Amino acid sequence: MSLDRKLLSISDLSINYQTEQGTSLAVQNVNLDIGENQFVAVVGESGCGKSTLALAIIGLISIPPARIESGKIGYKSVDLLSLKENERRKFRGTEIAMIFQEPLTSLNPVYKVGDQIAEAIMIREEQNEHLESAREIGIMQKTYSSNDLAVPPRFHLPRFSSSNRTQAILDALKLVRIPDPEQVIERYPFELSGGMRQRVMIAMALSQKPALLLADEPTTALDVTTQAQVLKLMKTLMSEVNTSILLITHDLAVASQVADRIVVMYAGDLVEDSDVYELFREPLHPYTKGLLSCIPSGSKKAKALKPIPGTVFDLTRPSTGCKFASRCPRCMDICRQKKPALVETKPGHRVACFLYGE
Amino acid sequence: MVSELGETQRNDIILETKGLSKLFPIRRGFNPFARNQPRYIHALNDVSMKIPRGMTVAVVGESGCGKTTLARAITLLSPPTSGEILFDGQTLTGGKVDTKSLYRRMQMVFQDPDSSLDPRFKVKDLVSEPCRRLLDSDREEIHSTVMQSLKIVGLSGYADRLPGHLSGGQKQRVAIARAISIRPEMILLDEPTSALDASVQAQILNLLIELQKDYNLTYLIITHNISVAEYLSDLLIVMYAGNVVEHGPTDAVISKPRHPYTIALISSAPIPNPWKRNLLNIEIKGEVPSAINPPSGCKFHPRCPYAGKICREQSPGMVEISPGQFVSCHFAEKTT
Repeated sequence: MSLDRKLLSISDLSINYQTEQGTSLAVQNVNLDIGENQFVAVVGESGCGKSTLALAIIGLISIPPARIESGKIGYKSVDLLSLKENERRKFRGTEIAMIFQEPLTSLNPVYKVGDQIAEAIMIREEQNEHLESAREIGIMQKTYSSNDLAVPPRFHLPRFSSSNRTQAILDALKLVRIPDPEQVIERYPFELSGGMRQRVMIAMALSQKPALLLADEPTTALDVTTQAQVLKLMKTLMSEVNTSILLITHDLAVASQVADRIVVMYAGDLVEDSDVYELFREPLHPYTKGLLSCIPSGSKKAKALKPIPGTVFDLTRPSTGCKFASRCPRCMDICRQKKPALVETKPGHRVACFLYGE
Repeated sequence: MVSELGETQRNDIILETKGLSKLFPIRRGFNPFARNQPRYIHALNDVSMKIPRGMTVAVVGESGCGKTTLARAITLLSPPTSGEILFDGQTLTGGKVDTKSLYRRMQMVFQDPDSSLDPRFKVKDLVSEPCRRLLDSDREEIHSTVMQSLKIVGLSGYADRLPGHLSGGQKQRVAIARAISIRPEMILLDEPTSALDASVQAQILNLLIELQKDYNLTYLIITHNISVAEYLSDLLIVMYAGNVVEHGPTDAVISKPRHPYTIALISSAPIPNPWKRNLLNIEIKGEVPSAINPPSGCKFHPRCPYAGKICREQSPGMVEISPGQFVSCHFAEKTT
């Protein structure tokens, strides 16, 4: 990946949450670049900061309780963190889109699916036309005649049912291979199955042709056969729409199936970053190795699992050394005193561990 | 008739179900025309199985296939509509059952420890509950049982904590300690690790294997995770839309699945190997059918690549396709 094709460049990003138990360091000094048309998976256990990272990129993290301590999120040539909210909004959805774990909570239950996709398309259209009102489009998406509501709405949008817009909605649904899209646009989210809802979310996100799609555990709530369908779809659409995908997942097996590159996080730290084949051929960080030996494959008679002892690092605890030290089978004295830096052992393979490099 | 579940009998088959069905009536609104047509969710449909003593049997299937209903029916938490359950040769259906004596021998671990552990109970009170309810032990005995159970699951020193102070894995250990505290013969585990992280899941799976060795337990594990089922179980039961579609020795079913649904299910389970991207080659289309209006004939026919006319008309019976491996498919001969 050459430098000029860098799409997203995160440098030295630290985010913490102010909680009742104290300051929780959710993301610490993360450096990560994503190239164009790349499929990157961020893998880690709950509380490792992977969702916080995604929310920070798209700018949906709520401040407070979160606080961005340091760092930059460079997107193309802009530092997203230095933008004002109304500037930032121009990127959200159109340049960087996101899909979430539970589609039922991200879709609005009282609007038909077609209307919700129409909203996404309309916002794009209006932004393209540089309309002043585009900034004010909030959650209101349907046109109301003044008879419908006692309080007249603040703005009026054209009804989505103009024929081109309907066509655009149908195209978005066809893109994600939804059968009978004409019927689906008239349905409410609760009338659809989990897989269909997630497909609608993907349709909404991709209708904008974003350059970067953030997918936060998009298949965790789905059944395996549906998960396979959705992942396959994401992988095919990536090249069709020409977008990069940042997949957040706890499942290394899922990541290995679809990603080009895997980033492993542990307790807010980026511990390993590598090409997927390289990572599975030669995992370096003891945590990555532990995680790989925790995935059941085959019978207990054939291969016993070797669980990582202990529990995940408590993020509110201050730490000087490597956060994995207490669970690490190869822990050394230095691991408890100093935090290892991320070093490049081979081109494209970075690891934060004293076993490698200096 | 109250059946006594004494310890005298020792069958090799600890649990057997015969033609188990469960229908949940759907409550209708006030539509006066709909009043007289009761509608049902067909959660379980003619499920028959045998669980040999000391074995681990895993039930796999996707959400809504009836696997949790099966566990709840067997434990009589939600008794079946029809069919028979035999525990150690004695019937649990058709008459009043002494559930106390049943639960002394059969315990359950639920999916979500947050909802199965009372947040206001201390760990020791949670673990002692089966002893207090089901056995007439005195305080001393209860105390020593609790301490021993906690030691077994690796939580000594946590007796006075509240569930809120424990991590997900620790909570699930408490639930397991509670289940084993009265030394049952059989434990039903409903998705015991699906709420846990990978590293913690591995710990719990290994704990379950150890416990089984030490106490000669029989497990019925309900899971949607085929890798977990493969790792733990000796026998595998595959369910689809309330029916058992295939069952047999785990190795055989995983290596040579014969029902088209089993084939699809196994090939959509992600494997941690970037060189074998099975997920990107899957063929299966569509989703699980409605349990209210299930398809006619074989319930898998709308999604099945092999479906023919007969599949729409007749539901297939169970055929033994290889020793111990049973398949419910009209075209079972063709699917390999």
